[in-house]
Amino acid sequence: MIDLHGYGPRLAEGALITLELAVLSLILAVILGLLTASAKMSRSRLAHGIGTLYTTIIRGVPDLVLMMLLFFGGQIGINQVTDTLYDQFGIDLFINVNAFVAGVLTIGLIFGAYMGETFRGAFLAVDSGQIEAGRAYGMSHWLVFRRIRFPQMMRHAIPGLSNNWMVLLKTTALVSVIGLSDMVRVASEASKATREPFTFMIIVAAIYLLIASVSEWGFARLQKRYDVGYGEVK
Amino acid sequence: MADTPIPLEVRNITKRFGDTEVLKGLSLQAHKGDVITLIGASGSGKSTFLRCMNLLEQPDEGELIVHGEPIRFKQTRHGREPADWKQVVAMRAKLSMVFQSFNLWAHMTLLENVIEAPVHVLGKPKQEAIAHARELLERVGLAERAAYYPAQMSGGQQQRGAIARALAMDPEVMLFDEPTSALDPELVGDVLKVMRDLAKEGRTMIVVTHEMAFARDVSTQVIYLHQGQVEEAGPPDEVLGNPRSERLRQFLAPKH
Repeated sequence: MIDLHGYGPRLAEGALITLELAVLSLILAVILGLLTASAKMSRSRLAHGIGTLYTTIIRGVPDLVLMMLLFFGGQIGINQVTDTLYDQFGIDLFINVNAFVAGVLTIGLIFGAYMGETFRGAFLAVDSGQIEAGRAYGMSHWLVFRRIRFPQMMRHAIPGLSNNWMVLLKTTALVSVIGLSDMVRVASEASKATREPFTFMIIVAAIYLLIASVSEWGFARLQKRYDVGYGEVK
Repeated sequence: MADTPIPLEVRNITKRFGDTEVLKGLSLQAHKGDVITLIGASGSGKSTFLRCMNLLEQPDEGELIVHGEPIRFKQTRHGREPADWKQVVAMRAKLSMVFQSFNLWAHMTLLENVIEAPVHVLGKPKQEAIAHARELLERVGLAERAAYYPAQMSGGQQQRGAIARALAMDPEVMLFDEPTSALDPELVGDVLKVMRDLAKEGRTMIVVTHEMAFARDVSTQVIYLHQGQVEEAGPPDEVLGNPRSERLRQFLAPKH
């Protein structure tokens, strides 16, 4: 039996933080991705410009740099705002950037840009006749989106979505630099203390692999669900 | 006549794509029970004209009056647009369209396709919509295909399914955009038969078609379009039986 030198519970907590971080970031990224895709496909020049600026910045700057920029830079920015509030209006406010929230925001923001491109491609792959039929039958914009565009788009989006999720999952390891005790950080502390890096890192690797395998299975099921009606014979 | 509004009236529609004027002031009145066929060479504007009637294309000028209610427009920097999309949505629910490429929703079964708009647009109770849909599928000969997806059906079956979907809306006017042009020749007959039955029961229909036999036998009015203008219009035996213009004569001449 592997001896965890009492680090077992902390490692489990770390794994839970990793998972929570990843899932919440994914939700944020999907929402941002849908918004970005809509903005970039919009005929409003302003919306298109904002969408393009967002994806260009995010995709052009390393994740680690963005994370530190947002976490440390964000704290300084907030401090300046609260200082001004105190000086000008006597409002005493202290906002501390919580590392978990910062992690979710940064990872969500980063992957929102990638998701945006995935969704945009997927939306463009939907046959325009399908949408036209919806409009011709008196469906509102929102109803067409909900009943036709979204379900048909998902079929094209899932491969990219699943790919993004895998990368996102592993990107959560970066949050250890902003002081969040995810499982990588716990394992690295434990490795140093016990001088048994292999033991702890192999466990971390196995947990990542487990999450990844379960998600792969989940995405395959999702794909099957959204593939309904396309070509398969009963 | 005066108390029942005309189901669909179109006045002086114009439409340009860039520098090309594709519709040059077209008008049409569809009274209850009319079957109007639009014929003409490809590029004559007949499909664009039809698509202007439910505003899948936005006409640059002209009026559209559905069941006595004029559609309101406004000028935007993208050109003329409907002033009230809610009005357009309500109007479209009264005009069902049947497309050349069927456009049945690929991720829904045939039955789901037929009940989709009645349930989600008209707010019909689902059980009622299903019962009605089954009757309609029976009528177009697809009762056994209710649980099939479009990809599992032939083109002719898909188009008959699309007609059932159109009928499920209980439309004032049915718009057909070259409904048989994408079909293999042996499948055309079944679709035309369904359409003939609809005409016989007094449905108001506007049909863009290349099927001259259908136009001759079924329509109450034939409109021959050439380069976005009405070249000839009238009852089928006049227009098709005794064409006045050389162009229409050539268009109708058997091709070898």
